[in-house]
Amino acid sequence: MNDTKATPPVLPTAPPSEMTKLPLGTNPDEQAAIPGLVAAIEALLRQPRRVLFQLRRPESGTLIGAMLFATLLCSLIYGLIVGTFSGREQLWAAPAKIALGLFISALICLPSLYIFSCLTGAEARLADVCGLVAGMLTLMTVLLIGFAPVAWVFSQSTDSVAAMGAFHLVFWLISTYFGVRFLCHGFVHLGARSGGGLKVWIIIFLLVTLQMTTALRPIVDKADTFLPTEKKFFVSHWAECLRK
Amino acid sequence: MQMSATYANFDLRQIPVLLRGHPESLDAWAQRWETKRVLLYVVVIVVGTGVYGAAMGCWRAPLQAIYTGIKFPLIVLLTTLGNAFLNGMLAPLLGLNLSFRQSSVAILMSFTIAAAILGAFSPLIFFLVWNAPPLSSRAAMSSATYQFILLSHVALIAFAGVTANVRLVQLLQRLSGSGILARKILFAWLAGNLFLGSQLSWNLRPFVGSPNLPLEFLRPNPFQGNFYESVVQAARHLLFP
Repeated sequence: MNDTKATPPVLPTAPPSEMTKLPLGTNPDEQAAIPGLVAAIEALLRQPRRVLFQLRRPESGTLIGAMLFATLLCSLIYGLIVGTFSGREQLWAAPAKIALGLFISALICLPSLYIFSCLTGAEARLADVCGLVAGMLTLMTVLLIGFAPVAWVFSQSTDSVAAMGAFHLVFWLISTYFGVRFLCHGFVHLGARSGGGLKVWIIIFLLVTLQMTTALRPIVDKADTFLPTEKKFFVSHWAECLRK
Repeated sequence: MQMSATYANFDLRQIPVLLRGHPESLDAWAQRWETKRVLLYVVVIVVGTGVYGAAMGCWRAPLQAIYTGIKFPLIVLLTTLGNAFLNGMLAPLLGLNLSFRQSSVAILMSFTIAAAILGAFSPLIFFLVWNAPPLSSRAAMSSATYQFILLSHVALIAFAGVTANVRLVQLLQRLSGSGILARKILFAWLAGNLFLGSQLSWNLRPFVGSPNLPLEFLRPNPFQGNFYESVVQAARHLLFP
């Protein structure tokens, strides 16, 4: 037992805060390719710098595709959990609306993110920005999957649409925080000089996603029509929900 | 990054370089008139402001979207053309020896930046309008929606304009070597462009379109009255009802 000379683990040469400032690819592990869906999710959670490095390579298309597929899959699964609150047709409508809403929100906000990235001085190609957004969406939806069991327990224990909506909103905001953090790290490595534009974009993205929940309502509750017949802004819709 | 100055003349990759305000590239591009590069700027202006104009007009009706999509780029291009001689003369008069073509390219560059920003934000405006009650409905006119959409337009156009002018003043500062001179020229150009641009927007009205008036490309009396007269009249109505 004592004669085994196990090699001690390699310690990082710099503290984590310093590591984030080092150029991407400094650590040889970051240069390892990311094969497939599971590896992409694992890398996003454990080695975000590896993902950021791979996204800058010319062959990043496969990784972006894998992350987008993971986003679709995870958002459909989380949507199914959301749909269990009302059951019936919401079991397919909620996943469809959540996946659709997420992708449309990202598409709407993508051009302005690219413009903001240029204005902040980041040397980002459109493909780089697409990759960062794909990473952000994947991280968000993977985290939502982590919240799914909690959400399911609550959806089976309450009859209040407003309470359930509030829970989902909290989970969504926590997931968005981590997704946005990944995005910001990405822009730092792309040479963004200031974060002001990016902060404005984050607010725009949040507003668009929140409005999307109203534009595609009902997501938690059941309704006679797939889409609403009346146009509303999310604040007034939420106020009405709370009054009910 | 030195390669950015060597992009082919009609290369869309020049637009991000413009937005970043990369000094060497902007300097090199402003020094020489290259028809293909100028054509690229015109295309970006037409597409960017055209799509934004369509987003602006679609609240009233799809046909209004087409009309505004045509008229918005027209204002920018006609303002540039109409003031080209004046702006070309103002720069040397104020102390910066720019040729007529150089000043036109510099102004086109700033309009291109504004158009690219507006074009990129147009999906957000489309989404905003899609979520708003129809302009013809009582809800749209009476609620805060109308004000909110108008304010969004003002904020976006102001943001695009300010960003474009910040880049333009940086370029002028680099060309002249003086911050004060650069701001003087920018102010002179801005004053001329605002003066003509606001009148052109009056002539080419409507842009959002009023639900109480018929849908048309131009009002029946586009050259009757002017922007400044209407501002004075509005002020008079407000002060002496």
